[in-house]
Amino acid sequence: MRRWMYAFRARLRALVRRKHEDSNLNDELAFHLAMQARANQAGGMGRFEAERQARLQLGGLEQTKERTRDVRPLRATETFLQDIRYAVRLLRRSPGFAAVALLTLALGIGANTAIFSIVNGVILRPLPYPNPDRLMFLTTQFRPIFMQFWVSPPEYMEFQELNRSFASVGAFATGESNLTAGDAPRRVRTAFVDEHLLKALGISAARGRLFAPGETDTTARPGAPGPPPTAAVAILSHELWQTAFGARPIVGERVEIDGRRREVIGIMPPGADVMDNRTEVWLPLGLNRANRQNRGNHYLYLVGRLNDDVTQQAAEAELNDLMRQWSGRVGNNLHTFGMAGDGSQGHLLQMEPLQEEILGGARQSIWVLQAAVGLVLLIACANLANLLLARAETRQREFAVRTAIGAGRGRLLQQFVIEGVVLSVAGGALGVALARVGVQWIVRAFPNSLPRTTEIGIDPFVLIFTLAVASMCGVLFGLAPFMQTKVKSLAAALKDGGAKGGTDATRHHLRRGLVVAEVALAVMLVAGAGLLVRTVYNLTRVDAGFDRSRLVTFELTLPQARYPQAPGRAQVYQSILDKLRVLPEVQGATAMSGLPPSRPVNANSTTLEGYTPKPGDTAIVDYYQTVGSAYFETMGIPIVLGRSFQPIDSATPGAVAIVNETLVNTFWKGQNPIGRRLRPCCSDQTPWLTVIGVAKDVKQGGVDQKTGSELYFFLDETAAAAAPIGFAPQTMNVVVRTALPLTALSPVIDRVVRETDPTVPIVRLRDMDGVFAESIRRPRLLAQLIGGFAALALLLAAIGTYGLLSYMVAERRREIGIRLALGSDRASVLTQVMTQGLVLTVAGLLIGLAGSFGVTRLLSSLLFGVEPTDPATMAAVMATIVAVAMVACWLPAWRASRLDPIVALRDE
Amino acid sequence: MSKPPDLMQGTLDLLLLKIIALEPQHGWAISQRLGQVSGRELQVSDGSLYPALHKLELAGWITAEWKTGELGRRAKFYTLTPAGRDRLEQETEEWRRLSSAIARVLRVKEV
Repeated sequence: MRRWMYAFRARLRALVRRKHEDSNLNDELAFHLAMQARANQAGGMGRFEAERQARLQLGGLEQTKERTRDVRPLRATETFLQDIRYAVRLLRRSPGFAAVALLTLALGIGANTAIFSIVNGVILRPLPYPNPDRLMFLTTQFRPIFMQFWVSPPEYMEFQELNRSFASVGAFATGESNLTAGDAPRRVRTAFVDEHLLKALGISAARGRLFAPGETDTTARPGAPGPPPTAAVAILSHELWQTAFGARPIVGERVEIDGRRREVIGIMPPGADVMDNRTEVWLPLGLNRANRQNRGNHYLYLVGRLNDDVTQQAAEAELNDLMRQWSGRVGNNLHTFGMAGDGSQGHLLQMEPLQEEILGGARQSIWVLQAAVGLVLLIACANLANLLLARAETRQREFAVRTAIGAGRGRLLQQFVIEGVVLSVAGGALGVALARVGVQWIVRAFPNSLPRTTEIGIDPFVLIFTLAVASMCGVLFGLAPFMQTKVKSLAAALKDGGAKGGTDATRHHLRRGLVVAEVALAVMLVAGAGLLVRTVYNLTRVDAGFDRSRLVTFELTLPQARYPQAPGRAQVYQSILDKLRVLPEVQGATAMSGLPPSRPVNANSTTLEGYTPKPGDTAIVDYYQTVGSAYFETMGIPIVLGRSFQPIDSATPGAVAIVNETLVNTFWKGQNPIGRRLRPCCSDQTPWLTVIGVAKDVKQGGVDQKTGSELYFFLDETAAAAAPIGFAPQTMNVVVRTALPLTALSPVIDRVVRETDPTVPIVRLRDMDGVFAESIRRPRLLAQLIGGFAALALLLAAIGTYGLLSYMVAERRREIGIRLALGSDRASVLTQVMTQGLVLTVAGLLIGLAGSFGVTRLLSSLLFGVEPTDPATMAAVMATIVAVAMVACWLPAWRASRLDPIVALRDE
Repeated sequence: MSKPPDLMQGTLDLLLLKIIALEPQHGWAISQRLGQVSGRELQVSDGSLYPALHKLELAGWITAEWKTGELGRRAKFYTLTPAGRDRLEQETEEWRRLSSAIARVLRVKEV
């Protein structure tokens, strides 16, 4: 075992006293050379020849040293660190190069990190529930109009009882509530849930308790007017508890929600939510389990947790079987599930993994973003490869010398790659800092454009991704110069004057190819961005059916507890509208129950005189809209036939209604609708309304969607009428037509509402342009981000082109100088250099356009009003690319043409 | 002059151990001694000598010590460690077995 002591000592010495060992090795070999030289001299050689032969016999002093050092332990680590130190030193010696390279990388890697943190937080990360892959989201379908619709309470309860696949199925509805915390009322996001839902999700309270069995059901007998009363309890979200109540112990205290005092029974854990609702207050759902009436009253969403041994396919198969037997098993023939004969009015129950549902259409947008930043990074890498290639050429002499003193080809390769990785990892670190800022900006600028925004952040997984991407880039552009470098003999490299390698024509192929690829990639990005920008432009130009300029809107909610009767609510709305109308800067004011252009569908079965639905079917009107006086005038919605509501309508007996063009075209095509009668949902006691006018179609459910059928009620009239038509919504959207900007109007509105009722909060006060911008937030997010990335790509490609041309010009200084000296025209020099650059651009443009046709097709579902191959957009893309290329090429070309032949020639 | 044949893999270690076993030596002397003893038949190229010596040292078979050598200069003298001596015996035994086995094969007469 003594051997290990010697070995250990030797290894320790080699590791710890590396410098010392190096100098020992020098001495050892110097001694050897001296001895050998003496021996050679003794053999009759001259002194110099003796020493030279000694070195030759040793096989080169430096090579031998390197080979001897190679047997040391941890030699690989040692050379690795040495190469890193060398790479860092090299970068510090050329700060200009380092700055450009680091900035390029930081932008490229930063953009990728930022977008990947979105991919990670939104798509990849499982939902924050136990075993989230077991959770299914259940909705109904009314083909062919509503592919995703709510479930009615009887349907829910029946499914709960019939199914065998789910461990638990719960129901919820979402809404908003007025919460009084301190003296200011605030609007909070509410989830109305039953205890089964909380069980299915697997949430447990952080403090206090959750709803007890039966606690979420209604406390009233069925048939009582108004929303069903529930136990006076509430659960707060962790976030609301922090912000509104300063995290003080509050469980057991009472808070006022929608005018009703409720006991806080528990606090949710941080981040607890359902369906990305950003729930702040959890309230009992208030189902009546004994009542199986009102099968058509759809307002619930269901979440179910599959049994551990049941697959989604098995659960779907069971569901399909259930739907076939449904009528028989529940003893009800009306409004149950099943396909209608002609497939037009199938009413189905369907399921989808909860995570899929939350992602919705965002998945594609996010992957498009990731692909775009991937392209940007490729361009950045190509740029850096080009930079490093240029540098490698000026370093030929260094490489030759290093080879001469013992560096093998493998060692050179290692050094190239390490230089690349050092650059890219430093760039990546900067990139992470950029990404942090970028992600925060994206989440702040587009708060509702993406689901699960609270879960977006830079976590260890994202950092691993960044490190991997950075290292891959480093290897990629580190390898490029190595492929180019054919280490010549020391003599040749040194003779060459050292600074530069040869200038054979083929040498530039790689670099030209890189620039062409950059341009091609940039073209694809710019084409995609162009199409998305066109999409947003088209969306903003859609005729929404009303005049949205100079229109300010806000939302008012009058709680049931405080205003139990419809006339009382109508009075508050009217008094606020009257006060607003008399303001000098206000041209008009009115109110409506659902704010276009993106209000949820509230489809209702409606009976229309003169329209007979197919057997077993009902006529469905997509939107019921309750409006205040002077509605059509204030909104600027043209009445195409008949007249609008007049104050007199509320005083005359018999109710009136206005319909939109789509309703007429759907149910009364070719007939005169004026004077026809219709009976709104949902009972046979509802009185008939007489149609007095037809309004132009208004985009209610999205500017990019088809207009639905719409039925207008007159608030002044319905509020005063007797049940069942007597009705005034609890929430109304007030609109004010005014020349004043929002900021100037805001205090006035505040005062008016406060005067009327200080406990009512003003919610979502904004101008109509803001409402429209919000309604197309996802296309806008895409267009703006992709636009930004495309601009970055363009900039990088331009820098790449510029860099290559400048380099080629610098290399040909002498030649250009001679040509100028011999009387060549400066203009022809300029043209020649520019042509060189533009040829590359055109090649890249053609390849890029060909690629665009393939790539933009993937975008087609995200586009609106523009084809993926839109010629106008493509022309604009080409013009942009050529214009940018002209600038990038012109600068080096101009410098070449201004060259002073004398200076150029003397230089060499 | 024909070049001495390349040393078989592994035999260099054995030879170096043997030469050093004779007496503590510095690198140049080891190389000279090897040439002498083998009657110029075996020659280690100077470029391979030092990596091999350092490997043996790191393995703990030999140890080194700096002394004043010829020319009055500092030289690194290698000595066998006790473990190295055992190793030498072992390897010598191995070598004998191997070479006699080869010799037996070569003695077989052709028919």
